[in-house]
Amino acid sequence: MIDLNHIHLTLPGFTIKDINLHIKKNDFFSLIGPTGSGKSLLLEGIMGLIPFSDGQLLLEGRDLIHCPVEKRNLAIVYQDFALFPHLDVTQNITYGVPYHNISKKEVQNRFDFLISTLGLKKIIKRTPKNLSGGEKQRVALARSLILNPRLLLLDEPLSALDPIFHEEAKQLLKKIHTELDITIIMVSHNFTDVIYLSNRGAIIKDGCIMQEGSIMSIFEKPNSLFSAHFVGMKNIHPIHQANNQIIIDGTHIKLTPASKPGKDVDFMGIRPEDISLNTFQSKNFTNCFKGKIQTIFNNGIFLNVVLQTEDICFEAIWPRSHLRDHALEINQIVNFGFHSQSVHTF
Amino acid sequence: MKRGEPISWLFMFLSLPLILLLTLPLIKMTIEPSMTMMVETISDMDVVNAISRSIGLSLFAGFLSFAMGTPLAYLLARNNIIGKKVIEGIIDLPIMIPHPVVGIAILSLSGKNHPIGRFLSDVGIQIMGTKTGIICVLLFVGLPFYVNTVKAGFESVPLQLENASRTLGAGAITTFLRVTFPLTWRHMILGVIMCTARAISEFGAIVIVAYHPMTAPVMIYERFTAYGLKYSQPIAVWLIIISFLLFIILRMLTKSINLHTR
Repeated sequence: MIDLNHIHLTLPGFTIKDINLHIKKNDFFSLIGPTGSGKSLLLEGIMGLIPFSDGQLLLEGRDLIHCPVEKRNLAIVYQDFALFPHLDVTQNITYGVPYHNISKKEVQNRFDFLISTLGLKKIIKRTPKNLSGGEKQRVALARSLILNPRLLLLDEPLSALDPIFHEEAKQLLKKIHTELDITIIMVSHNFTDVIYLSNRGAIIKDGCIMQEGSIMSIFEKPNSLFSAHFVGMKNIHPIHQANNQIIIDGTHIKLTPASKPGKDVDFMGIRPEDISLNTFQSKNFTNCFKGKIQTIFNNGIFLNVVLQTEDICFEAIWPRSHLRDHALEINQIVNFGFHSQSVHTF
Repeated sequence: MKRGEPISWLFMFLSLPLILLLTLPLIKMTIEPSMTMMVETISDMDVVNAISRSIGLSLFAGFLSFAMGTPLAYLLARNNIIGKKVIEGIIDLPIMIPHPVVGIAILSLSGKNHPIGRFLSDVGIQIMGTKTGIICVLLFVGLPFYVNTVKAGFESVPLQLENASRTLGAGAITTFLRVTFPLTWRHMILGVIMCTARAISEFGAIVIVAYHPMTAPVMIYERFTAYGLKYSQPIAVWLIIISFLLFIILRMLTKSINLHTR
């Protein structure tokens, strides 16, 4: 569908270096990275708003590098939606229609479909200043989708929304992707949103791709310390290897033969939600430990627990019900453990 | 700062001399001429011609600044062109330099000793002592006010709106006409008002480039030097009244279009 081959982009003070990506038709592809990593810049480059210094941008085999932005038939939805403040919702949605070869009947059909799918019927005469964040986003989506773009680019589409609209908008994006069979590239720094929405993605840092692949593989098997931190991996420690074990400050952690790390591996990490309480030692974990609860942070949904063993600390996420069911308290000694498969090395 | 707080009283007290400095001379001058004198003055066709010439040529200079200054303001607001700061400095120059110097500069360029002056003369354009010369001067002194106002307007339109328009298929010119212009035309009208206002008040440069045909400020000066304060005051009052009414109408027009377009 879309290929980025050896893409370079140079701006004063920032460079995007040798980006290679292949995005398949109907992919929901996410570019993930911290603020200032160059992900939005890459999106604007694909859109044609900033020229790439070098490389090839192929859309269905056709090089778009020299194609002007208005001729690319790609659509972008910005973080702040960029609705035209002097136009009402209908005028905003149909803004791009005169520049595309679409019959009046087709426009009407698409307009009616989008109005009903996105629930915009009651607000079509309003101006953007009278819309909520969620409504603005739906109008911006309708404005892009009415043109039937070959590719939809979303620049942090959820970060400007209140928590109430955030979940609603997530569901909506999922629905659009599924029902319209559209290829989407989304820029985000929120890995939770990305896991829910995307099938594939890439982590970008300082203008370079750090890891690319299926979202679950990035989530479960980060290939670098940066990626591990970014996808929420905890319990990250530098390691020494010995047979099928790794040693961290004297603590031995058993691995499965299949997960034996290569020679160039320096760190291990365990997702906090993979560390379980084993109060009655009833569960058959490969790695079992006894430790003292150092802190319990109850965020209302789950518990963040820090456990101190003789040598190292572990950070775990447990259900809130543990607090009541196991009468957890600070300084309490508990048994906990995790499976070898939960140990990731990089 | 809330009303009634000691600091607001202090600031009001400190502002008072400034307000009095601005208003007292104008009030004194406005109420001094008798009604008979005012009627007599406005019945004089030379006065009517001078005032209408001042206002007409100033409005024309305002319109020219709109036509010529808009692209320049857009360029400065949107592009990081080489020497941008220098160009911005040059645009502000007419505000800083004494206005007789502006007149002398324009005259020296349009004289027969200069190639530009010879070229203008060859194509039949005279600067010295003509309305063209006056317009040239008024544009020179008024342009900074237009360009700076409209540039601020362009800067207030997020670049993302223009980008969004481009991504939806509109070209650069269509984007300007459909997005940027509707969001900045109020700044343009304000810029024309500022430029026109500045042009109406111009005296120093006009008196050098074109003493005749006479504009209102030149006539006020002439009557003052020839006949004294008593005879120059009524013209000044009429100029202030007419200009004031004109700007109120322009402001109301802007507000009314504003209400209709929202």
